[in-house]
Amino acid sequence: MTYDAKLIVYEPEQRIRLGFIQCWVAMFLSIVQSRELLMQLFRRDMLAASKQSLLGIAWTWVAPLIGISSWLFLSQAGVLLPGAGEVPYPLFVLLGTTVWGVFMGFFTSAASSLTSSGNLVVQAKFSHQVLVAQQVAQASLSVLANLVLLAVVFAIFGGRLYWTVLLFPLSLFPLFLLGTGVGMIVAVFTVLVRDVTKVITTVLGILMFFTPVIYAPEAGNQLLQRLIWFNPMTYLVCGARDLVLSGHIEHWQGYMAAVLLAILVFLFSWRLFYISEQKVAERL
Amino acid sequence: MADSCILDVTGVGKKFCATLPYSMYYGIQDVCRNMVGMTANSSVLRHHEFWAVDGITFAINPGERLGLLGGNGSGKSTLLRLLAGIYPPDKGKVEVRGKVGALIALGAGFHPLLTGRENVFLNGALLGMNTHEIDQCFDEIVEFAGIDSFLDAPVKTYSSGMHVRLGFAIAIHARPDVLLIDEVLAVGDTAFQNKCIEKVLELNRSGTAIIFVSHSLQAVERLCLTGLLLKQGRQVFHGDIRDCVQQYNNLLTQENLGNAPQATSFGLGVVHISNVDVFEVGGSPGNRSVTYGRNFIIRFDYVFQEDCHHNTQVRVWIRTHDGRDVQRLTFQEAQFNGTRNYGNVKIHRLQHSGTVRITVLSPRLFPQSFRIDVAVVPMDRSIHLGGLANAAIFNVVPPPENNDYFEFGNMTVTDFDYVVAVD
Repeated sequence: MTYDAKLIVYEPEQRIRLGFIQCWVAMFLSIVQSRELLMQLFRRDMLAASKQSLLGIAWTWVAPLIGISSWLFLSQAGVLLPGAGEVPYPLFVLLGTTVWGVFMGFFTSAASSLTSSGNLVVQAKFSHQVLVAQQVAQASLSVLANLVLLAVVFAIFGGRLYWTVLLFPLSLFPLFLLGTGVGMIVAVFTVLVRDVTKVITTVLGILMFFTPVIYAPEAGNQLLQRLIWFNPMTYLVCGARDLVLSGHIEHWQGYMAAVLLAILVFLFSWRLFYISEQKVAERL
Repeated sequence: MADSCILDVTGVGKKFCATLPYSMYYGIQDVCRNMVGMTANSSVLRHHEFWAVDGITFAINPGERLGLLGGNGSGKSTLLRLLAGIYPPDKGKVEVRGKVGALIALGAGFHPLLTGRENVFLNGALLGMNTHEIDQCFDEIVEFAGIDSFLDAPVKTYSSGMHVRLGFAIAIHARPDVLLIDEVLAVGDTAFQNKCIEKVLELNRSGTAIIFVSHSLQAVERLCLTGLLLKQGRQVFHGDIRDCVQQYNNLLTQENLGNAPQATSFGLGVVHISNVDVFEVGGSPGNRSVTYGRNFIIRFDYVFQEDCHHNTQVRVWIRTHDGRDVQRLTFQEAQFNGTRNYGNVKIHRLQHSGTVRITVLSPRLFPQSFRIDVAVVPMDRSIHLGGLANAAIFNVVPPPENNDYFEFGNMTVTDFDYVVAVD
């Protein structure tokens, strides 16, 4: 028996009483200490996806493949008319939807992290941040699949390539931060009120129409223009797309502000998740 | 915290909300407070909230074995979850020195499609073991669970017993310093239960402290040395396990007495039964408490409301509080005709009115509450001349000294002898 074993104390509202720095240290440590579990959970879902299924993990590729083939078919059929710019419209839309999809993918994964493993949470003691991390890792995998397919389409369409295309994967990072950030807040509230995920998903669906995903940012009347440029997602989506299509970020000041916002949202919601999830998880 | 303690619990409490809308409302309130950096004042009860566990204080040392007793909803499982760190406390403090292993839900996180082998690693990681540690004791786990031929079959094809065996085997090999066991052993068969208890005791000998929850008093007595009794979330008793079991039994019988069904008369009303009482020989009538193993008397008055031209038989049933027959005590006014006189038939004549005393000899009624039904029937017809159901409730309590009653376990030995006297 080791008497010098580490003393663990459980007290009410322990996490919120931690100092600011201490809290961040605890958050990082708990992730680092749970890396084995994270790996095992990730492995579990990968393995489970491949059992009793013919395509298994390959399903990650199916949706983007189908999406892209339909784009290719439609453009061959001459239905998709090129826009005003020199960039083919299909490419423009494909890029936009992929980037938006990255944001939504991370959001959905993070938001469902607590509710999708309800039983486990009240049966065993472990850091619930692992659940978010595992979901995010899963989402990253499908982002990767999307990127590869995107590259294939680019090779076929053969647009002009800028060196900044190399920065494109990096430009998805702020979308990961914002998506996961909003997702973590939603995860906490969803445990309390189940409609929160539905409400926010609907709101984000509407937000897509006020983000230049399938149209150029300069389109529309004055009201739409105003809404577009108040929307931080506009900068993040356009910024990422600009890196591929025009070699430079057009609204880089707005882009930087949106990135900063994404970082802040992520940090805020990560800490909120850490502080509140325990108290909330008991209601699962 | 004393240096020797492995687990120190001080005034710990956990509250829950009884209604869902308020639970939602309070949850949102708490998270919003956290959002702006405020605490949620968890130690204060709000409307519709209640303490599921309230002010529990105890400490255990390495190698100690504590049994948690209490009825349904007394807070045992909540307390275990607090100790395991699954629930954060709302007041008080839990201090743990070392690794807590919780056998609360065996095989938590098992994925039905994954094989036993794959699930061992997953569940092990959940219990805080790394791959290397699991590798080291993998063979032991499989051997203990006794599932080697099913190791590569999906867990969903396992029987519930195999499921529990594998879960238990993993949990036990995580080498916890404190092991919390919540009623989980009840699932396996007796052989596996015994194997588990042996294994738990083996861990215990090497210093692991055990906290055990079960509704089987036998199992608790067998496994634990000290006991903690909970009632409605509060700590009622903490001490020697036998005293604790006795206190628990007293609590149970009190509750049964409180819920005692009304005495109801039945039959033709020819005979009126009243003043039914049960008391120990030499004890005072009215307290309705009988010590295990001691002779006791069932006494009642009877009055014939009209002349009866039949010979009668008097039947007294002792039943458990949930209605199972324990034994029927009878006597009659005459022998049966012909062949029906078997056993030692007790013959006593009834007057127009009087008192019957039945002395029950060396009964082995396991401590709990019992009820008495009385009926008078004619010997030649199957109708009730008169009767009283739920005529009396009495408690059997454990003997103050430690005698052999523990060896009998939760068994009521029937077919005891009795003596009848009629005034």
